[in-house]
Amino acid sequence: MEISDDLGVSLSHEDDFEREIETVFRETLGLIHIALVSHYQLKEQEATELEKDLFVWFRRFCYRPGASIRENRPFLLVACCQFAREYQKYLVGTGVLSSDEKLKLILDREPVDVAHDFSRSLQLFDFRRSDA
Amino acid sequence: MTFRGVFSCSISVVLMPNEGRVLAFPTRDCAKPMSRGEALMAAHDYLSTPRENRSEQFTKSHLENADTLSGIFEVLKDRGNVAPADVLEEAKVLYEWLSAPQHRVGFFDESDYFRGESALYAGASTRLVGSREETERWLDRAEASFRHTINPAPMLARVAYIRLALRYDTGRYDEVTELIPSLHLTFGKLAMAEEYWKCRFLEGMAFKAMGNLDQAAVAFEDLVSAAQLPVDDGLKGTALINLGNLKSGQGDHEAALRSYSEALPLLKRANRPVALADLKTMVGETLNLLGRKTQAIDAYLEAVADYISIGAATQAAYIQVVLAEALLDAERPREAEWQIAAALPTIEREKMLPEGLAAVVLLKESVRQRNANPKALAEVRHHLQNRA
Repeated sequence: MEISDDLGVSLSHEDDFEREIETVFRETLGLIHIALVSHYQLKEQEATELEKDLFVWFRRFCYRPGASIRENRPFLLVACCQFAREYQKYLVGTGVLSSDEKLKLILDREPVDVAHDFSRSLQLFDFRRSDA
Repeated sequence: MTFRGVFSCSISVVLMPNEGRVLAFPTRDCAKPMSRGEALMAAHDYLSTPRENRSEQFTKSHLENADTLSGIFEVLKDRGNVAPADVLEEAKVLYEWLSAPQHRVGFFDESDYFRGESALYAGASTRLVGSREETERWLDRAEASFRHTINPAPMLARVAYIRLALRYDTGRYDEVTELIPSLHLTFGKLAMAEEYWKCRFLEGMAFKAMGNLDQAAVAFEDLVSAAQLPVDDGLKGTALINLGNLKSGQGDHEAALRSYSEALPLLKRANRPVALADLKTMVGETLNLLGRKTQAIDAYLEAVADYISIGAATQAAYIQVVLAEALLDAERPREAEWQIAAALPTIEREKMLPEGLAAVVLLKESVRQRNANPKALAEVRHHLQNRA
């Protein structure tokens, strides 16, 4: 998914908030893409389309109370894994997609657990980021 | 759950090919995000249209858009303290619409989230307008929906707050003071400033009702100084009212009136009619203690009118009983009887006094005979005071 890097400078709090959402999403996008394509075996085009929806959801999700945008990243991964799992299960269930052993294994796992594994990668990313 | 179920918003209107893979992720209307300003405009368009004039298509076009729905809840949040009866009606409509199986909004957990929000708003408003039994049911509905969201903890904490407020309303103060510190801590950890301070305020109110006035004053002063997190004008003004009330109770009526005058502009700025009605009540109480009976009666009358105009029937009934006592004291028995006659139906309907039933019956009979019984009135007031 492409998110424009050409973000105008605005002093308003809301613009800052929106920009922070885009930044955090962009930082997590690599991991999301790996989860969708490598682990849940979505095709590139499918993954790209799903990422668009994830961004729309995440933007609204960040307006909910109780967590900062950055703290919401693990929930973004949970949503990503949940959506990918339901999508692939739907395709397998309708006979559109045949499931191999690797796909079956990941579809049998709870999305929260899969996302938890990915969250460790985020922690590593944060560690490197703070170290830079 | 099927993929259609997960892909909740508009997949049902997308034509599926008869062969090949059923996907293509067609562009969905709800995938085009609105800016917050656009969402608020759409929300105002929806809410400013009288409910009876909203066609099915009009409702659908607004409520199927998750951004518009977010805007609607934002507007309702601001209206919660101004017009709770209206918010209740809107929240009921939203809950009903969102609960229909054919109506799904947004992505992933958003249908559950919005349904939970509508039930929570309905619960909070129901509590303010005084229907306490109905509040519990709305809170159960809110919890049931929030449990299915991706990050339920902050929302469930908000439900827990209303539950504790309800316990306060029913006089279970010891339960409030026992349980609220944990919730206060939760809101602090989640950096939810508004709820954080609402908890501290409720704790202060419970201490006050239990007669633990020093701890109550510490809680209210804590809120007025707001050292930890920012606090909004409305809550700060309400804390000042209660500080003033404590001072009045300790005999320092002039200091009380100073606190009240400090609270007034804050509450007006925050547009908090419920708190303004409370302020008028407490000004009436202080003026009464200062022996300024006519001014006190005027303040009570204004408070009653305010409570009635915002639909807070039980509060209005309680102040009418207080007012009746002040009127009897000022040797205006006919007006006192009118106030009692106006309050009694609400007291009975809302079961405000299960333990003071005998006094209510006695009072009712004395009013019927056009000879209000001051002893029964004082007893009713005493019971109500312990519950108010």
